[in-house]
Amino acid sequence: MIGGFLDYSPGDSFLHRLNPLAKIFLSLMLCVSCFVTDSLYFCLFMILLDLAMAAWAGISGRAMAMLEALVKLSALLFLIQVFFIREGNVILLLPMDIRVTDKGALFSLLMALRLIGATMPLALMLSITRMNDLSNVLVGTLGIPYKYAFSLTTAIRFIPVFTAAMAGIIEAQTARGVSFDTRNIFTKIGLIFPLCVPLLVTSVRKIEGAAISAELRGFNLRKRESGYKNYPIRAADIGVFLFAVTVAVLGVIVP
Amino acid sequence: MIRISGLSFRYRGGSEEALKEIDLTVRRGDFLGIIGSSGAGKTTLLHAINGIVPHHFRGEFYGSVEVDGSDTVENRPEDLARKVGSVRQDFESQMVSSVVEDEILFGLENFSVPRDDIEHRIADALDKTGIANLRERNIATLSGGQKQKVAIAAIIALMPEILILDEPTGELDPKSSRQIFRLLKELNEKHGITVVVVEQKIMLLCEFADSLAVMDRGRIILEGPVREVLKSSREMESAGVNCPRVVTLADRLREERLYDGPAPVSISEAEAMVRSITG
Repeated sequence: MIGGFLDYSPGDSFLHRLNPLAKIFLSLMLCVSCFVTDSLYFCLFMILLDLAMAAWAGISGRAMAMLEALVKLSALLFLIQVFFIREGNVILLLPMDIRVTDKGALFSLLMALRLIGATMPLALMLSITRMNDLSNVLVGTLGIPYKYAFSLTTAIRFIPVFTAAMAGIIEAQTARGVSFDTRNIFTKIGLIFPLCVPLLVTSVRKIEGAAISAELRGFNLRKRESGYKNYPIRAADIGVFLFAVTVAVLGVIVP
Repeated sequence: MIRISGLSFRYRGGSEEALKEIDLTVRRGDFLGIIGSSGAGKTTLLHAINGIVPHHFRGEFYGSVEVDGSDTVENRPEDLARKVGSVRQDFESQMVSSVVEDEILFGLENFSVPRDDIEHRIADALDKTGIANLRERNIATLSGGQKQKVAIAAIIALMPEILILDEPTGELDPKSSRQIFRLLKELNEKHGITVVVVEQKIMLLCEFADSLAVMDRGRIILEGPVREVLKSSREMESAGVNCPRVVTLADRLREERLYDGPAPVSISEAEAMVRSITG
């Protein structure tokens, strides 16, 4: 699901046309604002903003799928947190002196919302940014050596590839009678854990193949000025930079 | 153009040699097809031409491989890549980008192709491989055959002097396979690009290649013009290569002393052969 979300989604929306630097800066600032704020409402607003941006970019379906996955993860995080914070007034007392306090519940809810609000912007921006554009702008504008930029973008590109490889391995095991449908999380981990070995072998083979192919297409000959496209900073990009900073500042000052 | 002399290679940790005393010369403008059963050494031979062996896959390397006068041991693969364009068997792993256009752009940018030429080269490579409509598509959403065409387009765009391809039609249907071989023939005849292709579909090789090399257990057991090689159908079959049925038919007719002409390499030539006998 997350892998599918990171696949590039073509389009011609305002967000698609932004300079990759502006997109990344915006997503980082949205992420930072979620971490610096102590307001539940502000976190909720940031999640709604993420969904609105996804709708604007025409990837609402992906955003909702991502949200669903993150809500499940956040629910788990909430449950782990809420039983360990013992400050505040008790609002629920369970056997074995397990208690839920008002402070603990609010803080755990804030952590859960932060996780959702901070994760969505980067995944959203990556799914509307070509990796080639991202690496070119990192090299051409920020001066990062191409090898590092390529490694970063390749790592991002390989996430859906490995997700698909894992799905393929699970399908093959299912066809041989292994049942992954169990609701017991420990049984499920026990079934999936041994699959890490074939996944590792597949991954290493794919990475080696990609490295050879890149070498055979002159990867080591690339220079900083080799990029074909130009990525000028336009008025819209400056507007997005200012908006991103404003949101981050709001994250600090909103009570 | 390509001169291989006494080449033997054993992969590090390998129990036996993958290539044994290979001697092969490919002249400028040749269209050579290489065929053989699995494990015959075809892919290793291509790796020796583009420098992956011994620079990436290390092992015991004896003999020499020269590409346009440059020894592949003394030159790095990326330097050889200026002349040798390689389409690998595992074309999925050849992909380094997420969008078709960027995949083709990758090599062009690396080789610092002038900006004015790039758009033309991308459009031309996409047109030639018949995937102009896929230019903006996400590679992850393409079928295996479409990805294979993208891999070929990405190399064609580099306009190499030598094109080496490892089973370039493995995932393609018969129509697309012929389209790819027609393209290779066009590049070979019109642009003088030397083509070396490993392929299991022997009818395609018979129809489009000028010469054929048959490999068996690391050795080249037969090599020469296609029609000459096809005369040795029994050796080909013992090497695990199925001869075209039209060739088998001609052999039977020869054994019966009914036919003494050249081996047919297409249905139409087989038809003419049968007509020459039946009148």
